[in-house]
Amino acid sequence: MGIDPRVAGAQRYSVDLERPGMLHAAFVRSPHPHARVLAVDASGVPSDCVTLLPDDVQDLHLYGCQVRDEPVLTPLARHAGDIVAAVAAPTAEAAKAAARLLDVRYEELPAVFDPVQAVSPGTPLIHPDGALSAGEAVSIGVRPLAGTNVCHRFRLVHGDLTAGFGEADVVVQQAFRTPGAAHAPMEPHAAVAEWEDGRLTIWTGTQTPFNLRGDLAVAFGLEEERVRIIAIPMGGSFGAKTFVRHEAPLAALARKAGRPVKVVLDRTEEFVTLNRHPSVIRVRLGAKRDGTLVAKELDCWVDTGAYADCGPGVATKLGYAGVGPYRIPHVRVDALAIYTNLPPNGAFRGYGAMQSIWASERTMDVLAERLEMSPLELRRKNLLRDGDVFATGEVMHDVQFERCLQAAADAVDYERDPRGKGLCVLLKGMQTPSRAAISVERAGVGYVIRSAACEMGQGVRRSLQLMGAQMLGCEPGQIDVPEPDTDTSPFDTRTTSSRSTHMMGRALEVAVRDLRASGGERGYGEVHNEGGLDPDTGQGVASTHWHQGAAAAHVTVDEETGKLTIEHLHGVAYAGRVVNREGAELQNEGSMIMGLGTALFEAIEFADGQVTNANLSDYNLPAIGDLPKRFTHELIEREGAEVHGLGETVLPPVPAAIGNALFSLGLELHELPMSAERVLAAVDARDARAAAADSAPEARVPVAVDGQGLSG
Amino acid sequence: MKLALELNGRPTELECEPDEMLLEVLRREGLGSVRATCGIGVCGACTVLVDGEPLSGCLTLAPKVEGREVTTVEGLAGADPVQRAFIEAHGFQCGWCTPGFVLTAKALLAENPQPSEAEIAEAFGGNLCRCGSYVKIVDAVRRAAGEPAGAR
Ligand code: FES
Ligand code: FES
Repeated sequence: MGIDPRVAGAQRYSVDLERPGMLHAAFVRSPHPHARVLAVDASGVPSDCVTLLPDDVQDLHLYGCQVRDEPVLTPLARHAGDIVAAVAAPTAEAAKAAARLLDVRYEELPAVFDPVQAVSPGTPLIHPDGALSAGEAVSIGVRPLAGTNVCHRFRLVHGDLTAGFGEADVVVQQAFRTPGAAHAPMEPHAAVAEWEDGRLTIWTGTQTPFNLRGDLAVAFGLEEERVRIIAIPMGGSFGAKTFVRHEAPLAALARKAGRPVKVVLDRTEEFVTLNRHPSVIRVRLGAKRDGTLVAKELDCWVDTGAYADCGPGVATKLGYAGVGPYRIPHVRVDALAIYTNLPPNGAFRGYGAMQSIWASERTMDVLAERLEMSPLELRRKNLLRDGDVFATGEVMHDVQFERCLQAAADAVDYERDPRGKGLCVLLKGMQTPSRAAISVERAGVGYVIRSAACEMGQGVRRSLQLMGAQMLGCEPGQIDVPEPDTDTSPFDTRTTSSRSTHMMGRALEVAVRDLRASGGERGYGEVHNEGGLDPDTGQGVASTHWHQGAAAAHVTVDEETGKLTIEHLHGVAYAGRVVNREGAELQNEGSMIMGLGTALFEAIEFADGQVTNANLSDYNLPAIGDLPKRFTHELIEREGAEVHGLGETVLPPVPAAIGNALFSLGLELHELPMSAERVLAAVDARDARAAAADSAPEARVPVAVDGQGLSG
Repeated sequence: MKLALELNGRPTELECEPDEMLLEVLRREGLGSVRATCGIGVCGACTVLVDGEPLSGCLTLAPKVEGREVTTVEGLAGADPVQRAFIEAHGFQCGWCTPGFVLTAKALLAENPQPSEAEIAEAFGGNLCRCGSYVKIVDAVRRAAGEPAGAR
C-alpha cells in the first residue's frame, strides 16, 4: 500500500478536475452593493468565448435551501460581488480577460449594511417581493416578516418572562457584536458542470450533494434524477461549501456552451461567496440573590446578507444555543435573520452557536460579579442535569455539562486563583430532523461502503472504515469508501453540524445487520432523527443529540499596548465514544485554533459594502506562532455511550472563555475580535470607571442597539 | 521560452513565458501538489524547494530557476522520513497544505537537525493550515528529528 495521498501530494481536489473539451469560466460581478442591471453589452467579447447573459436564464427559477430567493444570474445586484453574467473561454486567463470586456450598465440603489439598521422603518427593502419558502425541502418553518428585511423570525417562549424578572433580585443587561468572518478554506470553490442529453452532472467540492441536487433541479426545472452531483474531497470547507454556490451559474453557462465548463474562484471572490453571519445580541439575565437563574431574554439581529441561504436555520440555532446549558424557568428568545447588502452569510463551523454563546456566557460572568459569586459556582448551580427540561421543552439525557466545565476549570487551576482566567460551557444541537442512509456490499477481498458523507479533512472516510472494520470483522484497509455520488450513494441530509460520524455510525450498524440477515452480499441501513422546533414558540425537539463542551483560558495583558497573551487555552468536548482518536483530536485542535482566530483577530472589513481585506495577508488566519503558550484539550468519554460528533464543539466557547478571562481583570469586551485596540480601549474604560467610582454599573450597555425593540 | 532545470532529480526542459510564475509551469507539468491558494506568498501551499531552499511558487518567476534543482513533494520517494513522520503523527486533515509543510520541514531539518519549538514556529511562519493541524505538524517535525513521540 502506498502512503496517504495527502502526504504524497497525490490527493486531487475539485481544482484539479479535467473533462474532455472543457472550457473555463469567469463570473462578471457587480461592483455595487445594490444596483439594477440596465443593460449588458457583450459585443467586445472575443468570438471564441461563450457568454451567459440575463436573456439566457429567462427560463430558470429562483432557488434557495430554506428560502427561494436566489436567481442563477441576478438582474438586481444585492451585494458587491453578486453575479450578473458569466463567460466561458478556452483558458481561465482568457475567460477573465473576456469578463472584463463585458460592459454592464447599472442603476445604483440605496443600500444597507447593518442588521439593526436594516430593520428600522424606511430602510430599502432588499427582496421587496418577499420570498418563497423552499417548501418541503426546508427542515424548519420559515417565518418572514412581510414588508421588512426579515426573512425569518425565530421565537422561543418558555414560562412567563415578566413574572420571571419580577422574581429576580439582580438583573443584568448586556449587548454584544460579532463581525463577519471568512471560512477561508485553503482550497477555493471549484467545479465542473457538464450536460448530456438534458442531464446535468456536476463535480464539485461540497458538503451537501443532495441539497445541491435538489436546489439545482428547482433552478433548472428538472426532475431530481436528471441532476447528478459527484462530491470531490475538499481542501477544507468549514461550512463554506454548502448548498448552491458557484454551481448554478456554472451549470447555466455549460448549458449555453454545450460543453463542460470549469470554474475556480479567485481568493478575492471567496470573500463575496459565503461568510459568517455578523450579529448583534442583547442579553437580559435575572437571578435570585443566591445565584439561581430565574429569567433570560435574548434579542438577536442576525445578518444573513443578500440572500437567506441557511440564515433562518442559523438564527434558530443561534437563538436556542444562547439560552445556554442552564435550568431557567422563564425564557424569551427573539432572533431575526435579516437581509442586508453584504455578501451572503451561511453555515460556518458552529452554525450561529459561537455568536450567541459569546454573548450569553460573557453575561454570566457579569452576573456573577454583581452577585459577588464565583463564575464557576454560578454556572455549576444552574447547569442542566439528566432529566431536567430545557427551554425547548426537551428532557435532557446523557448530560455531561458539569464534567466538561469542571475539567476546563481544573485544567487552568481556576479554583485556586481565578484571576486572568475565564470559563465557558456550551450546549449545541445537531441537525434535526435529518436522515442518513448507507449501503454495504461485498467486493473481492473486502467491502464497499457507499454513503453521501463528504470528506473535507474531518476524516469521515477513515471513521467509516474504522467503524465498518469493527462491525464486519475485517481490516480498515479492506473497506473501500468511494466518493459521494447522488446517482449511487444512498440519501443523506448533509455533512454538517458534526452529524456524520454519529448518524452514519448508526446507519452502518443497521446496514451490517441487514447484510448478515440477507446472505452477506449487500446490506442497507437508514436512520432518522425526528424533531424540529416550532418557529413561533421554540418548543419541540431542537436536537436529538446534544453537543456539550467547555473551554478555559488563562491570559495576561500588556496594559501599555493592549497585547493579549494566551498563557493557556484548554478545550473540552464530550465525545461519548471515540471512533477515530487522532481524527477527533485534530478536530478539537482545529476548532480551538479557528476559535482563537475568531477571538483575537479575524473579521471581514467592509467599506460601503465592499470587502477591504479580501486576501490572506490583510485577513489573518491563525499560524503556528499564534498558538497559545499552552494549548491543551480533552475528550470526555463514557463507557457504552453513543458516538458524539466533534467537528465544531470547542470552537464556540473559545472567544467567551478569553473574554471572561479579560473580564476577571476588569476589562469588558463586548465586540469581537478582541484586538489590541479594543483591549486597550477596555483598559482605558476600566481606569475611567475607577476614577469615577460612583457610576452605576447597571447603566453600562456598551453596544448601541438604537432602540429597535423586538417586542410583539 | 525554454527552461532547463533539474526537476525532482531529473534534467528537464520546460516551456514557459518569461513572466510566468513557477507555480503555473509546474502545475502544467502535472505536479498537482503545488497549489494556488493565496497567490501572494503568505500561505506556503505552493512551496517548492529550489536548491533545497523553500520558495513560494506563486512569487517565483519561472525563468529564475534556470539551471537549478527544483523539488516538489512528488519528487520525494514517498518513503521520505519527513513524510513518514507526518503520517505517524497524523499531521494533516484535508491535506491541501501538507506538501508545503513537508517541504518546509525538510529544509528546516536539513539545516537544523534539532530545532527548538521557537525555531519550528519560525520556519513555518509562511505556512498556513486552515484545518489547524499545527499541534500534530510540530509533533511530526519532532519525530522526524528523532525525538520521542509526543514530546512537547
Ligand atoms: S499560493 Fe503561494 S504562498 Fe500562498
Ligand atoms: S490540513 Fe487542511 S489546510 Fe492543512
